[in-house]
Amino acid sequence: MKISLDWLREYVAVDLPRQEILDKLTMIGLVADTTEERDGDLVMDLETYANRPDTLGHLGVAREMAALLGLPLIEKDWPLAELPEATTDIADVQIAAEALCPRYCGIVVRNVPVGPSPEWLTRRIEAMGLRPVNNVVDVSNYVLFATAQPIHTFDFGRIGGGRIVVRKAKRGETLVDLDGRTLALAADMLVIADESRPVALAGVIGGQASGITESTRDVFIESAHFDPVGIRKTAKALGLATDASYRFERGSDIGFAPQAALMAASLLTRMGGRASRGLIDRYPRPPKATTVRLRLRRIAELLGVEVPETFVVDVLGRLGFRVDGAPKGPWRVEVPTFRVDVSREADLVEEIARFYGYDRIPSEVTPVDSFAPVVNRTRDRLARIRETLAGQGLDEVINWSFADPEREAAVASGRSPVAIQNPISNRASVMRTSLFPGLLENAAWNLNRGVEGVHIFELGNVFYWGGDEKHREDLHLGLLSTGLLPGAGFAAPAAATDFYVLKGAVEAALEALRFDPAGFEERDHPSYEPGRALAVLYRGQEIGRLGLLRRDLAASASVDGPVYAAEIDLSALFEKTPRAFEYVPVPKLPGAVRDLSFLMDRSVTYGEIARALGRLDQPLLEGFELVDRFSGAPLPADKVSLTIRLRFRHPQRTLVAGEVDRAEQEIVGHLRSALAIQLREGKN
Amino acid sequence: MADLKDRIEGLRKEFEAAALKAGDAKAVEELRTAFLSRKRGHITLLFEDLKSVPAEEKREAGRLVNELKTAVVDRLQALEAEARTAVRPARAIDLTLPGRKRYAGSLHPLTLFQEEIERVFLGMGFAIEEGPEIETDYYNFEALNFPPHHPARDKWDTLFIKGDLLLRTHTSPVQVRVMERSKPPIRIICPGRVFRRETPDPTHLPMFMQVEGLVIDKGVTFAHLKGTLEYFIRALFGEKVKLRFRPSFFPFTEPSAEVDIECIVCSGKDPGCRVCAGTGWKEILGSGMVDPQVLKNVNIDPEKYSGWAFGLGIDRTAMFAFGIPEMRYFYENDLRFLRQFGTK
Repeated sequence: MKISLDWLREYVAVDLPRQEILDKLTMIGLVADTTEERDGDLVMDLETYANRPDTLGHLGVAREMAALLGLPLIEKDWPLAELPEATTDIADVQIAAEALCPRYCGIVVRNVPVGPSPEWLTRRIEAMGLRPVNNVVDVSNYVLFATAQPIHTFDFGRIGGGRIVVRKAKRGETLVDLDGRTLALAADMLVIADESRPVALAGVIGGQASGITESTRDVFIESAHFDPVGIRKTAKALGLATDASYRFERGSDIGFAPQAALMAASLLTRMGGRASRGLIDRYPRPPKATTVRLRLRRIAELLGVEVPETFVVDVLGRLGFRVDGAPKGPWRVEVPTFRVDVSREADLVEEIARFYGYDRIPSEVTPVDSFAPVVNRTRDRLARIRETLAGQGLDEVINWSFADPEREAAVASGRSPVAIQNPISNRASVMRTSLFPGLLENAAWNLNRGVEGVHIFELGNVFYWGGDEKHREDLHLGLLSTGLLPGAGFAAPAAATDFYVLKGAVEAALEALRFDPAGFEERDHPSYEPGRALAVLYRGQEIGRLGLLRRDLAASASVDGPVYAAEIDLSALFEKTPRAFEYVPVPKLPGAVRDLSFLMDRSVTYGEIARALGRLDQPLLEGFELVDRFSGAPLPADKVSLTIRLRFRHPQRTLVAGEVDRAEQEIVGHLRSALAIQLREGKN
Repeated sequence: MADLKDRIEGLRKEFEAAALKAGDAKAVEELRTAFLSRKRGHITLLFEDLKSVPAEEKREAGRLVNELKTAVVDRLQALEAEARTAVRPARAIDLTLPGRKRYAGSLHPLTLFQEEIERVFLGMGFAIEEGPEIETDYYNFEALNFPPHHPARDKWDTLFIKGDLLLRTHTSPVQVRVMERSKPPIRIICPGRVFRRETPDPTHLPMFMQVEGLVIDKGVTFAHLKGTLEYFIRALFGEKVKLRFRPSFFPFTEPSAEVDIECIVCSGKDPGCRVCAGTGWKEILGSGMVDPQVLKNVNIDPEKYSGWAFGLGIDRTAMFAFGIPEMRYFYENDLRFLRQFGTK
């Protein structure tokens, strides 16, 4: 809200340096976002709040200023040059929708010479950032910015029958507004009509046909109170927002409607018009004044400071509240009609705090008797995953939760996307069902800027419609690896990433949380190249996928070269119980190690060997690892050699000569019969 | 003349003895300086002395001095060439090679900054609570004292899903959910992604990270709000930073306060400062005493209990703390940007 300091001074004789005025306004909650010097005037753009429509005019801001400085609010006289004829003789006002319009005031000013405004008025209008139109329009804007009460002026000659009917629109009615738009009116919209048709959309915008023109002679001034919700619904439905609707939807001062009409009439008579005698004021059911009980004790309880009772009574009085009661309270506080934000004790406590000064309230640490720290297990787990993956050389990224529906479809997550009704753009119109589109975009962005390898992960939610038409929100971990691996140097040349880098990262993350051993099963999926994808399982349930992303999918995000990616459903995983942590004593007895190289068909997998070894009942076999894999000459093309390190140990005693040999032979024999693989000749 | 001849002869011997000992480029350079330096070199000084030699002897003396100079220059050149081609002893290992570092990935700056905030509150006994990002109108607005069709909603411009589902515009719904399911005392912070229908610009994006905090107990006052938030902000920005609490409005708090921090970029001295626009203050968070209606909505008796709450944008605060000019940098995920924060 633009506030001119000159204009403000019409209401309060504030005589302080500008910076001090700005500081004082700030400390009661009226902060100037910007200020502008205008011909010796200072125009402040004050930040205002949705609950304080009274500050949307100079009078309201002046009232705050006067209360703060202990100055009187200057009241002005609005004398009228009156005609002998009574307003009721020439005009009639009828409210047919009382809930939407509880009060309506009107008066006619005849023989208004429509023309340019006097200099003092154009100056005020221009300070508000508006262009002067003519004296009648300028007067109505002046009243609005002075008092926050919107008024509307009609060409009285164009009001059929001199009759004003405040009613709901009829089915099919339209109105051409002041800006020439044809508005299709809905049945719940409030209109101002004459005897036959709507002449204005109540509280929002006037009609063109009844607007002020050069040939207007007689002006009908409307000053009303409209239901805030009704105005807001209408303005929203039609996509209109005017200075009037902005104020009405926040709540105008129902008590001020007559004064605003008289103020406008007075200004127009000052310009040569003559006002009809007596204001029409339709106010069928004036509500009872709002009263609030206020306790001194409550002020201290909420603010943490003892505010003197004289201060309380004094400041509320200056702000226009009527305070009754014993000197130390409790008080019965009557709220003025312009303070639509105050209806409870807490609201009054805020008024006390604002004027007492937030800076005078002491600072204390919130006391705590004792607390049992609540562990957020999910967050702890995520922190562990982050730490582990960073240790694997992956960088963390954070992407939009929104996604491009086309990219979503290409990823083929198989989940039904949740659409946004009013998206920022068509390319961000659904919620992501997978972390892949974001990760791919990150890869493309970085590769295009000369980064040679992208190895990243993200923790975030994906969204989709469940089969039961309920939305789902699952926490996922996404990983992507493409290009050269980091950490190359003079001693280790740059190497390209591969499938096992990604698999290792997934294994490391799961192990760090003791969700291991994880199972991996070859399983095709539309996001991945055929034969290049694994399902990740924990305790038999699929919790994710990993593999080589489909090349056309990567290419559609402008990433060439192989892209390895994985996605783990952490929501599903975290529902499961991880392996319990268990301390195992470090063995004191020596063990034995045997490296065995097996020659086998390429059709046999390491996984099969590992499973076979795992199932073996060989008490001396403590564990085993794959330590080498070799193929190519001199081996036949369809063969591969795996070297497996077997670790033997007896739990209670030292191994006896020969028993390791027997165990080894048993293992080799078992593998030979189970998988038809054998020891490589001459290499043992 | 004889005197000069002796000096020439002496210098020649001195030079030859030194030349034999000059084993490396550094020694040769020192020798050159001693004899040929333009100011103090021995031969330079000889030429100076020539001026005082009687005219009839000048010719002979000049010849001798020049002869010495030529000999010295030639020998120095030879020595320099020798020093350049000298065979240096082989090294078993070059210890000046760069060390081999295992590459560690870096965490996202917003994660790091959020953890920094969390640590301060964890130390004060706050618990971390989270909640869904798709919310209902009730939890996002109504329970927080936003009546339907109230213009206050405009400041929380909303992305809608369908029916009463929407993308949460703040993490306040988490506060409501926690108050619904637990009894006071409550002290929590709620970090998370939030969404607003904002046209992107340097300081506004349709998605950002927020952290909110809530304390509910008997006897909690505005003074506690001030003291705790001052402690928090000073933990982030340093002991000396200046703060101010000024009145504001939020539907869910009464009274409400916004907290400004002194502009650490210009200290209010630059009228064109892009951080504070010359005001010297930067709005850092919103806060207030929990509105009694909000407490009633979750069946907490506002006569018995009171509380305070705050909300802060993690992105904007991180921008301010690190001097990052554009919020979108956080979501571009340029590795050259992200990796800098590995050392934060």
